[in-house]
Amino acid sequence: MSTGAKKRIMKEYAECAADTPAGMKIIFDEQNMTKWEVLLDGPDQSIYAGGHFKLEITFPNEYPFKPPVVSFKTKIYHPNVSNDDKGSMCLGLLRPDEWKPPNKVVSVLRLIQTLLIEPDIDDSIEPSIANEYKENRKEFDKNAKDWVKRYAK
Amino acid sequence: MADHSSSRPQHQSPAHRDMMFCHECQDEWYRDQHGLTCPECGSDFTEIIEDDNDPRDHHLQDHGESDDGTDSLPGLEEVPPYQDLVHTPWLDSVQNENRAQNNDPEEGDISNLQWRQVGPGRFAVTGTMYRTVSPHDLSGGGGGGRGGGLDTGPIGGFAAMLNSIIGGARLHQDVEGQDPNSQHQHTHAPQNTGSGTTADGHRFTYTAGARLYPRDANHPGPQIEPLDELNNVLVGLMAAFGEGPGGNHPHAHHHNVHAHSGPDDDGSARGTPLSPLMALFSQVMAGNGQIGDAVYSQEALDRIISQLMEQNSTSNAPGPASQADIDSLPRKLVTNEMLGSEGKAECSICMDEVQIGEEVTELPCHHWFHHTCVSAWLAEHDTCPHCRKGITQRPDASNHAGSSNDRSTGNPSAAADSMQSPNPPMPGSFEVSGSEPSGNAMEDNDPSAYRLQNTDQTRPQESRPSDSSSGGIGGILRRGLFGPQN
Repeated sequence: MSTGAKKRIMKEYAECAADTPAGMKIIFDEQNMTKWEVLLDGPDQSIYAGGHFKLEITFPNEYPFKPPVVSFKTKIYHPNVSNDDKGSMCLGLLRPDEWKPPNKVVSVLRLIQTLLIEPDIDDSIEPSIANEYKENRKEFDKNAKDWVKRYAK
Repeated sequence: MADHSSSRPQHQSPAHRDMMFCHECQDEWYRDQHGLTCPECGSDFTEIIEDDNDPRDHHLQDHGESDDGTDSLPGLEEVPPYQDLVHTPWLDSVQNENRAQNNDPEEGDISNLQWRQVGPGRFAVTGTMYRTVSPHDLSGGGGGGRGGGLDTGPIGGFAAMLNSIIGGARLHQDVEGQDPNSQHQHTHAPQNTGSGTTADGHRFTYTAGARLYPRDANHPGPQIEPLDELNNVLVGLMAAFGEGPGGNHPHAHHHNVHAHSGPDDDGSARGTPLSPLMALFSQVMAGNGQIGDAVYSQEALDRIISQLMEQNSTSNAPGPASQADIDSLPRKLVTNEMLGSEGKAECSICMDEVQIGEEVTELPCHHWFHHTCVSAWLAEHDTCPHCRKGITQRPDASNHAGSSNDRSTGNPSAAADSMQSPNPPMPGSFEVSGSEPSGNAMEDNDPSAYRLQNTDQTRPQESRPSDSSSGGIGGILRRGLFGPQN
């Protein structure tokens, strides 16, 4: 990883630390600064309220020319989070072809928060969950809350 | 060729026990075990086998391979040395027919039918089938090595198969011509000379025969000899695929002959490389299920698909900009006007603050960055890191140069205009964190809109392609009229 990339990650962390978006905590390890751990509270206005989700943000060596990789370490019932042990997220500005260097981690974190409140159904990674969200919102809410109780407390 | 020093095959067991033969079912047994009546069918029509009176066919011994009399597979090639008994009613007429070089193994090809009485009430019919394989086909195998072998393979395979089906037949290629030392050749002399086996190596003689068994005195019919063992057929097929039967390999026919002459012969395996067919099979079985562009398993297909997806994951994005285009981007020094309202600006790639007087590189969309930062990006994508407008001018280079010049002259006025705007132009830079109200900081604010609106007036002569998606006049107007996009 280039020193420029490291410098930029350091700067981004400094920014985030100075003004962390509400409802999240960033754990930063200077020895391994390419892997951030983020503790995210389910937004109050979302069905995930009360849940605490652990996320991992991994910076590629080509950062900021390539997007960071976001994965949920805590299982979450969400159309945009893969329902496997990876819990990966790949949408919007996180897409390799939509990412651009001026984007910042903090905007990624805000995007995630936004998605917890309002999933992006048209860009889902789990079609069955997205379908349920569209067709049977009640069932979706129930499942999502159920998962919060089971995994995110 | 096998050794034929003994003109009289030995049929008796070494112990000289009397062997019995049943004319009904052709069973054989020892007399001292089961007596004179056939233990198999109970028939009385039996006979003691003696040296000078063998009720069985006299070709039972196959080239003296086994001397113990247990080998009951008849060797048809062996013509009994009963020349005085030879009775060949059609010999002359049929021999004429075989002159016709017919590639179709029709009746006409089966010539030299020899009908001879080999014992009391017993006849042997031997025939020779002549096949002519054209030198063209064969030289394909010889000239092309293994590749050519594949071409002639089907022919060779067919030949081997045909040979096997004909039954105990012998593939005989007379490359060396007649071998006078061979008992076999001696006994076949009338046939082989008739076959015209030339020494040119392109003729094959397939010798086959059938015997008449007195199974039913009223309906004598030829009994087809047992087929070669499947193994031998396959060996022959493989050998044929490995090297064309008439290839330039002088010993090719030996391999084939051996493959058919007995399972104890390793001739077919010796020195014969793995045939392409074998290689194909082994590849399919043991390999990754992928041969060239073709796949033979779901797993391999998945692998290829994911490979393709990886390769094309960024296919929507434009390709890299050429180094020349990157190098020709104008450099400029950071001026006070380029800094934001807070007097600060940074390269949005490395996020380093820039100082007044620092040199930056400006893109056609007027976003600016450190040269090293932006060239690293442009080497991968021909887009502005900020607004995605390409730096490569499509129509021709003169436009590119013109717009570059215009830009440098247009800057002062743009800067002057920007002093009055509430949000000063900071192309390529972002507001310091905290001043951003909410939402997607980077996406909300496109300072280039102001610049483009302003600079648009300063260069009306510029004819840009009206590419609305990447800027151009359409994009400029739209952004000017409707405000920032993104």
